[in-house]
Amino acid sequence: MITALLWLLAIAAVGTVIYVVGRLLWDIFQLIAERRRGAEDAELPPLWRDVKVIGIGAQIAALVLIGLIGSYLWGNFTDRADQIGLDLSFDFLDQPGGITIADNPLSANDTVAEAITAGFFNTIRIILLGIPAAVILGTLVGVARLSNNWVLRKLATGFVEFIRNTPPLVVIIFVWRVVFLEGFPRAQEAWKPLGEWFIFNNSRFAFPSLEGQDNFGAFQVVVLVGLAAAAGVGYWRTQVFNNTGTPHRRVLWGLGTLVSICLLGYIALGGPVAMSKPMLDEAGRVYTGGVRMQMPYAALTFALILYTSSHIAEIVRGSILAVHKGQVEAANALALSGFQRYRFVVLPQAMRVAFPPLINQFLNFSKNSSLAIAIGFAETTSIINNLFGQSQPAPQLLLILMLLYLALSLVLSLIGNVINSRLQIVGR
Amino acid sequence: MSNSGLSAGDAQLMNAVAEAEAESARHGQDLTPGQWAKKNLFDGVLNSIFTLVFGSIALVTIWFGARWFIDSDWEIVRANLRLFMVGQFPRDDLFRLWVSGYIVVFMGGFVAGAMAHNAQDLADMQGVEYERATWGSLLRRFWTIIAIIIFFVSFARTALPYIGVAGGMVLAVGSRELGWRAPAAVRARSVYIGAALFIISMMVLAGTSRLGGFALGAVALAWVASETGKRDLPGGGAGMVQRWAPAILVAVVVFVVTVLLPYDGYGWEDWGGLHITLFTTVFGIGMGMPIGILLALGRRSDLPVLKTASVIFIEFIRGVPLISLLLFSNLMLPLFLPGDRPADLTLAVIVITGFSAAYIAEIVRGGLQAVPKGQTEAAQASGMSAGAVQRLIVLPQALRAVIPAMVGQFISLFKDTSLLSIIGILEFLRVSDVANAQPDFVGKGLAPVTYVFVALGYAAFAYTLSKESRRLETRLGVGVR
Repeated sequence: MITALLWLLAIAAVGTVIYVVGRLLWDIFQLIAERRRGAEDAELPPLWRDVKVIGIGAQIAALVLIGLIGSYLWGNFTDRADQIGLDLSFDFLDQPGGITIADNPLSANDTVAEAITAGFFNTIRIILLGIPAAVILGTLVGVARLSNNWVLRKLATGFVEFIRNTPPLVVIIFVWRVVFLEGFPRAQEAWKPLGEWFIFNNSRFAFPSLEGQDNFGAFQVVVLVGLAAAAGVGYWRTQVFNNTGTPHRRVLWGLGTLVSICLLGYIALGGPVAMSKPMLDEAGRVYTGGVRMQMPYAALTFALILYTSSHIAEIVRGSILAVHKGQVEAANALALSGFQRYRFVVLPQAMRVAFPPLINQFLNFSKNSSLAIAIGFAETTSIINNLFGQSQPAPQLLLILMLLYLALSLVLSLIGNVINSRLQIVGR
Repeated sequence: MSNSGLSAGDAQLMNAVAEAEAESARHGQDLTPGQWAKKNLFDGVLNSIFTLVFGSIALVTIWFGARWFIDSDWEIVRANLRLFMVGQFPRDDLFRLWVSGYIVVFMGGFVAGAMAHNAQDLADMQGVEYERATWGSLLRRFWTIIAIIIFFVSFARTALPYIGVAGGMVLAVGSRELGWRAPAAVRARSVYIGAALFIISMMVLAGTSRLGGFALGAVALAWVASETGKRDLPGGGAGMVQRWAPAILVAVVVFVVTVLLPYDGYGWEDWGGLHITLFTTVFGIGMGMPIGILLALGRRSDLPVLKTASVIFIEFIRGVPLISLLLFSNLMLPLFLPGDRPADLTLAVIVITGFSAAYIAEIVRGGLQAVPKGQTEAAQASGMSAGAVQRLIVLPQALRAVIPAMVGQFISLFKDTSLLSIIGILEFLRVSDVANAQPDFVGKGLAPVTYVFVALGYAAFAYTLSKESRRLETRLGVGVR
């Protein structure tokens, strides 16, 4: 993955240079041709007053300037690299990285590239859990800020104003050092609400999970069939709704189909999945079963959810307020219920306004996840920071770090823009 | 790393919020307490349940918060107050900080008073109603900052900080009044006077021999200021002498002082604490602004080279997290620069300038897009040169529209400077780690105390600024019309 990214960068760089120089040359040729033609008619301004000439001159000057500064800096850099014996090749990616991550199969013998990839997957884990949670919490808080209830409104306002105006790094460190490390008991005195199923201590959280037994492969097929059937039923209900106008209730129908097929399959295959319970060793550490959540991971994700949701709350509040009053009044005049008014009139319009700033927040969330470096959760940035400490070459590693985040930002904003273009009103 | 760019959606959001706030301010004024409680607390069963549940949550939080606040041992803050505020600035030279702080306070008060009076004059001229800020309204606007300063000072163990802060508050009030009463010609140049005062305050701190760069900065600032002054002068236009005299004057003064006085202060490698946090923010925005405007113009230009270069710079900086840029400043930037390794903060400030320039460029681009095309076309039709069209017609309108977003960027950068702690610069947040590692306090679990102190500091400043930005929004009518 990393090598592919580096190749992409090289291709993009070469492409950009070719494009820029090519455009410039093309413009110059056109200009020469135009002036030749113009010279015959003798109606062109003199060279130094011609806007096109000035433009091309400025561009050449800019290119030369960028080139000069760039080559000067690059010269300094290579001199220094020679002095301190810095290897500028990418061979180190295949050397053993010496990085281990708690609760991860990565071993010290695995290569640098594998270590970085493992870190990147951890970044993605933060994003996958964090963004949906932040949207849900942010929406709740944003709606609470619009509530008729004075207490709820003030509470939500206080939350938003305080968290929003505190640096994310402070929120993360506070949640980590104060709430999680001091707030939760040590491993030996772990807090276990609901018996042994949920275990909370200040090194990790553990939850029960589902674990495949015999016939698990067959059950996966059944689940897939159930999903397909649910989609089909949903489509059918939509068709019925479009044709006859009877309420479609496609979510209910779809879920019902899925659950009943899964249930039948579960019984027929003789219990292909079972609950897996987190088990403790003598020292009180969770060592097997269940889903185990690293403390730094939980702290970072929780803190980022808090921080981002305070921003999302403002967006949600603003977008609901931005829906024109007449829309609500019209919905009331049509005798829609409160829920229907929200579901069919206010929210779809609010979502259109809210989505572009929301994409920004998603990007900020993914970039803020790099603050894990402060609390040592092994995602991309802190793994690369650890690699610096093992005297791996900094220039290449920094390049890879930046490329990974650039790619992530690009993909996230692409997804966001596609969704956004589907949300907006088509036409006009 | 937050709000960036001013999309149409953002303006729409802000506008809606401002309207709703005005609406709610109009309503609910003539209710008796009973009616008010009925309407706001117990309007229906669900509402009453909400009130009880969330009310008890709030009460429990407040109760335990207050208990914690009173019971905690704040000795760690008391012992390290100076470290929190100014880092390891040499003790014997603390007077420099006080003097430069006073100059900055005077500058702020004077410019604010003068600008307020200018605004009133302008409103009178146009026959618009102008609401002069009263001391009461100012107190309401800035009470968070005043409260946090009093909170900070309350940890002082000697009388000096109390006297100093009290003096500063008196100075703020007095200088605002002075700015208000200054003659029109002085008021018209208040920005320029402010810039000069700022440079002088820097010289008090850092001495003169380290200030080669400031001479250059002074020329740029003075030019901007004299341009501003020119537009605001009664009668409009001004001659070449009036335009350039202040700039040349400042440049000469700074140059003379720099060269002739062998006066040595403390460069920013000796600064720290809240001081460095504020300074880095101001410097990052101040230096990032001109670069950002150029980048925004470059991005909108038709010339492929300029456009591509601007787009690559802006999108690259905005696509990577600030911490990776700071790591770059720490590990890589010295390799690119000739000579000895500069101070860590110098490297970081270079990167932060580029960072804020990229974000400011996107904000300014939003403003540029909001200027109707007819404006440019009309200017061109009246025979203006391309530079004059941008400088006199497009940019003034665009920049006015993005002032609130710029304040937002300022807040965002203010919060982001906390990342400097990760690369080992002793700024506000890192002091709390340092304090917790001191032999007197290590292992006593005092992290909550220092973190709450730091968080309150950040939140109070950022909160006031964000309220001010919303106020500016309504004042400037961004997104309305």
